[in-house]
Amino acid sequence: MEISKVNIENYKCFEGRFSIEFSKGMNILVGDNEAGKSTILEAINLALTGIIGGRYLKNELSQYLFNHKVISKYISEIKNGDNPTPPHILIEIFFNREENPLFEGNGNSEKTKKSGVVFKIEFDADYHSEYEVLIADAENITTIPIEYYRVSWKSCAREAVTSRSIPIKSVLIDSTSNKYQNGSDVYISRIIRDDLDESEKVNLSQAYRKMKDSFMGDNSVQAINEKISEKSKISEKDLQISVDLSTNNSWETTLMMYLDEVPFHQIGKGEQCIIKTNLALGHKKSQEANLILLEEPENHLSHSKLNELLRRISDNSDDKQIIISTHNSFVANKLGLEHLLLLNNQKVSRLTDLSTDTYNFFKKLTGYQTLRLLLCRKAVLVEGDSDELIFQKAYMENHDGRLPIEDGIDVISVKLTFKRFLEIAKNITQPVAVITDNDGDFDNKITKKYEDYSGIHHIKIFADARNNLNTLEPQFVDANNISLDNLRTAIGIDEDTYDTAEKITKYMESNKTEWSLKVFESSSVVQYPDYIKNAVDWCDEQ
Amino acid sequence: MNNNKLIIAAAGAGKTTYLINKACEQTTERVLITTYTEANEAEIKRKIIKKKGYMPSNIFVQTWFSFLLQHGVRPYQSILNDNIHTDNIGFCLVSEKSGKKLDKEGNPISVGGHPIYWSEAEFKRHYFTGTLKIYSDKISKFTFTSNKTSNNEVFNRISRIFDHVFIDEIQDLAGYDLELVKLLFKSDSSVLLVGDPRQVTYLTHHSTKYGKYADGQIASFIANELGKRIKCQIDEETLNVSHRNNQAICDYSAKLYPNLPIPKPCECKECRSNISDHIGVFVIKPNDVDKYLSIFKPVQLRWSASTKCNTNHPFKNFGESKGATFERVLIYPTKEMVKWVKNNGHVLKNETKAKLYVGITRSQQSSAIVVDYKDDDDFEDIMKYSPDR
Repeated sequence: MEISKVNIENYKCFEGRFSIEFSKGMNILVGDNEAGKSTILEAINLALTGIIGGRYLKNELSQYLFNHKVISKYISEIKNGDNPTPPHILIEIFFNREENPLFEGNGNSEKTKKSGVVFKIEFDADYHSEYEVLIADAENITTIPIEYYRVSWKSCAREAVTSRSIPIKSVLIDSTSNKYQNGSDVYISRIIRDDLDESEKVNLSQAYRKMKDSFMGDNSVQAINEKISEKSKISEKDLQISVDLSTNNSWETTLMMYLDEVPFHQIGKGEQCIIKTNLALGHKKSQEANLILLEEPENHLSHSKLNELLRRISDNSDDKQIIISTHNSFVANKLGLEHLLLLNNQKVSRLTDLSTDTYNFFKKLTGYQTLRLLLCRKAVLVEGDSDELIFQKAYMENHDGRLPIEDGIDVISVKLTFKRFLEIAKNITQPVAVITDNDGDFDNKITKKYEDYSGIHHIKIFADARNNLNTLEPQFVDANNISLDNLRTAIGIDEDTYDTAEKITKYMESNKTEWSLKVFESSSVVQYPDYIKNAVDWCDEQ
Repeated sequence: MNNNKLIIAAAGAGKTTYLINKACEQTTERVLITTYTEANEAEIKRKIIKKKGYMPSNIFVQTWFSFLLQHGVRPYQSILNDNIHTDNIGFCLVSEKSGKKLDKEGNPISVGGHPIYWSEAEFKRHYFTGTLKIYSDKISKFTFTSNKTSNNEVFNRISRIFDHVFIDEIQDLAGYDLELVKLLFKSDSSVLLVGDPRQVTYLTHHSTKYGKYADGQIASFIANELGKRIKCQIDEETLNVSHRNNQAICDYSAKLYPNLPIPKPCECKECRSNISDHIGVFVIKPNDVDKYLSIFKPVQLRWSASTKCNTNHPFKNFGESKGATFERVLIYPTKEMVKWVKNNGHVLKNETKAKLYVGITRSQQSSAIVVDYKDDDDFEDIMKYSPDR
């Protein structure tokens, strides 16, 4: 069993409703910082375990779980006397297939038959009268009345659930460490506990009890206790040193994991991440499904360790569902572009239906900055370094010296692979501009070559139709024809040697990177070909 | 669809034990055991734990109402009315037809002495109390209707959760309950019903639906109402001896239902060990009750809480005693029951007759009935208890 869909409302960075669908096996969440990748993993884990940051949320409700815009809206409505409903948080997780009829029903926000769990943090109507008193004094309300909130955790059949009754066990492997009081890590204890069968659990807790009993039975402990009792004489009753025998202090909060005699939480974060992942991947219980939530594995791992971890994950992901968040294109490429979920402005898009060619092309380019295309606001594809430099400069002149990237516009030099990138862009409706030479044959090299993209509004091809100006250099010289002096100054050549446009062009053609770098660094004003200026204008379009 | 069975047997025949044994045979498939009363639910749980040492994780014991609330009502609660999508539906046990129209003071409105009820069109007030508790007499109707509206999703879900559905004391079910039994028969779950037409001590509701089968006529319901495609086998043979009652108790209780076969006591050693010299059915004078209680320690059985009894000794209402076995019982009869004890030709109402039958058949050794009689009064087939002997 796997989770197929998650709905989130008003939780942390998600204002209003956010939905995301997952497939079985591997899922890779990519998105900019602040796009909500970690929040999604955290929300899934919360709705499946009731735990956040290593603690049960139930006792730790806080206004900070709510989206701050939702809170501000609520408060301003109260101050306007609009009587708003106190906002709620909803995390809804649907399971795929019909394996779990017990969790099935229409008790979910979609009001249709689903199997899953609904985790809600909502105003408790029992506090209605207190709430009325509270909002009567609207001026003094600064946040939501969290003290009157409760957690409701139910199946789609509207039956209360617990983390034990939920058939999917999730394991969150993140970079923060959440420890019990004794320092042992909450999540590794859970991973191990979830993997033990009933009799193993009983054996372990009995062995633990025996150890406590033998401590109490030890001669020296008894002697000490006699002495304490003798001395205290507070009352008739005995005062004794004892081990904590209270039931909620079970082995998992007391026992600690050691790796080569080093306490687990003392070893490196990277190593911790690898061990947790391996343990979770080795989880073998057949009745319970296992969901691994892995947050940015690249954070604490060396390249070779990361490689090793990724190989293990992709080798073992057949019967497990894995959701990984990453901002590293190496990770994304290695685990398969078809598993990518792109997160942008509370929207999710995925790379489906890529042609095998394109798919293999990107798969090979492990270190390539594929994700740049996906993560920027707009992308400008250029052929080589000189095109990149010139476009950047043209943009800066038009934007008070700001680089395109500062405005979320990424200029990517793709050599001759424009169409591969366009295929992805087409898939995810990412705005992309192509700046290219006409290579002396506009009809074939531009019109025909890109005809597949002619009707797509978010993809734009910028090239000049004049076949005699076949590349950037003649185009550039043509644009500066009125004042070749400025051009010569900018690129640092003298008029005596380069007295004609042809000679300048020739020079530029044999010193591509050099001239463009000079233009980029120069403060002298030059003119830019129209198709480049048009591309700059395109960047400013909404 | 085919694997459905109704077992009919008299008191003490081991119906519940049979059902529990069948349930415990299942090691992986999931079994629901449901019954009308909480007392019987607790008894079933106790017996399973006694037998297995623990409650197996594949066996689920619930009262009929709790089953309906969890699996019949809530999973698709908003399919009939979207307004209650996120509400928490509770439960309200009623002892008469629910949903009376009230006036502003909260008094029932009546026309010509008859109360007026909210119709189905008044959805919320028809099915629920003001705080959205579903009335016990409407819960099976609600389940039936929402199953129909959801295109059988309610029972589709139930049959995928439970491979087997066992219902104890099936004679307590009536009206729309029977429609639900029909839906269970139709589903993929295998259904086992056990019951005794003599022991109808509760009516789950007061609707007129299937009124003619209300009086423990579950076998006729199955014979007449299932149609051709639904099958259920009726078995009156498997359980035909009483493991609880002795010959005298079997014979005397059978007099209440002269048209049904007289059950025989089981003669095996296990059932007949521990025999004392005070066995059979007795009448006892009120003055002798306290002494009798301290000598024989019977469990006192009564109609309801308003019947006086000696609270220093254990007591139960007839209804809640159903399914239980005691060594001895002491029965506080109603006036009508006394008339029957004095004259077996006296015709009792169904409920009165059923409760007297249940009371008498609770005991292994002796059942005593408190009757204020004169020493020269004659009784049929019942001994007079005398403290002097």
